[in-house]
This record gives sequence, C-alpha cells and structure tokens, in this order.
Amino acid sequence: MASVKELRLRIKSVGNIKQITRAMEMVSTTKLRRFQDRAVASRPYAEEIANLVQHLAGVLGDAALDQPLFQPGTGKKTAMLIVSSDRGLCGAYNSNLFQAMESWITTHCEEKGIEKTDVDFFVYGRKAKQYLGKRGFSIAQYITEPALESIDFAAAARVARTLVDAFTSGEYAEVKILYTAFESMVRFTPTFVDFLPVAPPAEGDADAGGDVILEPDAETIFGHLVPRYLETRIYNALLESLTSEYASRRFSMKNATDAATDMQKTLKGQYNRLRQENITKELLDIVGGAEAIK
Amino acid sequence: MAEELTLRVITPERIVADTPASSVRMPALDGDMGVYPKHAAMVAALKPGVLRYKEAGVETVMFVAGGFAEVRDNTVRVLTSAGEAPEDIDEARAQEALDRARQRLAGSRVTDRGEPIDMIRAENALQRAVMRLSTRGLGGR
Repeated sequence: MASVKELRLRIKSVGNIKQITRAMEMVSTTKLRRFQDRAVASRPYAEEIANLVQHLAGVLGDAALDQPLFQPGTGKKTAMLIVSSDRGLCGAYNSNLFQAMESWITTHCEEKGIEKTDVDFFVYGRKAKQYLGKRGFSIAQYITEPALESIDFAAAARVARTLVDAFTSGEYAEVKILYTAFESMVRFTPTFVDFLPVAPPAEGDADAGGDVILEPDAETIFGHLVPRYLETRIYNALLESLTSEYASRRFSMKNATDAATDMQKTLKGQYNRLRQENITKELLDIVGGAEAIK
Repeated sequence: MAEELTLRVITPERIVADTPASSVRMPALDGDMGVYPKHAAMVAALKPGVLRYKEAGVETVMFVAGGFAEVRDNTVRVLTSAGEAPEDIDEARAQEALDRARQRLAGSRVTDRGEPIDMIRAENALQRAVMRLSTRGLGGR
C-alpha cells in the first residue's frame, strides 16, 4: 500500500502529464484544421485537371494510351511511395499503415513472383524510414526536403517528378502510393492507389467531347496535362495523410487526457481514504493513551 | 451588353480570382489569345505570362505560371500552379530565380555535384522569372 506521500506525488505527476496531453490535443486540433482547409482548397484545381484528363483522353481515344506513362513499365520491380509521420504519439496511425503494407507486400510479391526486396520504397516520414530500415526493406529514397509538415504544391510536384523519372528509367513495372485516406474525424484508412502507369480514365461523358477547340492540339495539351494530373494526386495524398495524422493524434491525446482525469479521480479517492484512516488511527492512539493515564 | 464572362483563376492552393469580365487575354502556347463572351468551347495550354482581363473598362493584369484554360458556357477557367497580382510578386525572389536560371543556361551543363542540369527546366524557370518581373513592371505605381 502506497503511503500518503507517494499518492500525493503520483496525483501531481498525473496532473502534469494531463496538462501536456491537453496542450498537444489543442495544437493538433489547430493543425488538423489547417491541413483540412488546404485539402479542401486544393480540390477545385484537382477536379478540373482530372476532368480535363478524362475529356482529352476521350478525344484522343486509343492514341492517349500509347503514351509511355500509360504503358506498364518494362522493369520487374515495384516502386512505392509511402507516407507516414515524422513524429509519434499519434495513436495507431503508423502501425495501421505498416500493417496494411505488410499484408499487401506478401500477396503482391506472390502474385508477381518477386522478392520483398524488389519493392523499392520512396519514403516520406521518419517513422516509415525507421520501420522499413529495421526490417531490411529496400529504401530507394528518403525524402526529407522539405519536411512533411511544410509541404506545398511545388514540393509535391518534385516528388511526382522523382517518381515519374524512376518509372521512365525502366526499372519498375509500376509505381504505387500508400497513404492514409481521411474519411472522417475518427476514420482514417491506409489506402493503396496506382500511380503509374496512369490508369485509363473511366468512360468520359460523350457530350463533353465533340466541338471543343483544342489549342494548339490534343496531343500537346495532353502532354502538358498528365504531369500536372500526377502532381495533384501526390499533393492530395500528402495533405490527406497529414490531416489523418493530426486527427489521429488529436484523438489519442484526447483519450490520454480523459484517462488522466479518471486516474486523478481514483487516486484522489485512495488518497482521501488513506488520509482519513491515518487520522482515525492517530485519534484512537490518543484516546487510548489518555485512558491509560487515568 | 447583356452577356459577360466569368473568369476563375484556380491554383492548387486556392482560387485566386473569381470575377466577371468583359474580355480576357491570356498567354497561349502559340501566342496571346483573346476571349470574348459567347466564345466557342475551348481548351488551351498556356505558357508562363501575363493574363489580362477587362471589367467595366478597367484592365487588370496578373501573372500566371503556365497551365491550362478552359472556356465553356461563358466561363473561363484558368488552371495554373501560380497566379499573382503585380503587387504580390516578390521582385527580389524573381530576380534571384532569373539570375540562377541564366547562370544555369550559360554555364557548364553540370551542377557542382556533377549532375546534369535539366535544360528544359532551367529554361522554364527563366521564362517564369522574366514574365514575373515584367508583370510586376506592368503593375506600375
């Protein structure tokens, strides 16, 4: 049984931890909102670009699919961009991601008849680097510049270019992205998407085609458009991952704060009981002593 | 003059402009292109340059860093990685970018680390910097 003094110390330290977790919860809430706003702000652009891709692919027909980025790569290996977080204390955010990756890689390698080391990782986030590095996965590039927190569209464009270059080097059959999709404040799912080769877009609506003037011509526009399209996909994956990370961190910090409150209450109860017991004991001693003197 | 255009300049970060306009002039790949109300549906690729639009007789200029323009139903959507009003352009930064790009194009074809310089990228950077500076100049004042 802990002494009154020990209990007092524990109550105090639980209170300190609670202060910290609450502060982190509030910071996460603000950051979460910021990344969410940016994700929303990027949507009109991404949607318009995707529309144009679909539209032009419709105009070009099969000619669009002849472009190198639409053809499966000549290599055997797979490249994957994995987006994790730089910092911990965000609940199961990273471990969910790694779990999804592990189960995916097993089936993927079986399907393609390749080794696990034939999957080259392009890594965003320190946690993934640590995880993959420890387990002997092959890391092609660990992207640190700029830090995940301060990404902007230009940075996303650079990542996209890195991946496209890797793909066109002929080493890879395909490039995938693993990121955490933000579905709601309490739902974030590790998600795989095919990045390259570019998937043939879904059937474009017929009436969108037809009499649209293309300046200078469909091939040229398409050639400019596809890289932009790929950039928006990376940007979106990064922003959604960041949003999920902060939502996850906020959630786990809130749980920690609540748990600390509960613990404080229990400890306080124990402390009071023990204190009263001690007082009772002392009183009995005094009364007993007084009786004896009589 | 019942009909008017709506001009929307959309970047990945935000919507830079959403305004009515009586005419729009933009830097298409093959030279400037004007759009008036009732223009036929069109998709055009843009190069870095100056976008001008008129509203109630007043002309406004804006730098766009290349991209695409889509004209449909009297709406001009400009999709670009950056759209900046003259007063928002960071002159020092653009000048720096210009010098850097010039250096790259003039010097040897490799960087200090011995990697080949991507000439197309350097040239694009040069073009962007030049157009940024000249847009800035147009803002006057």
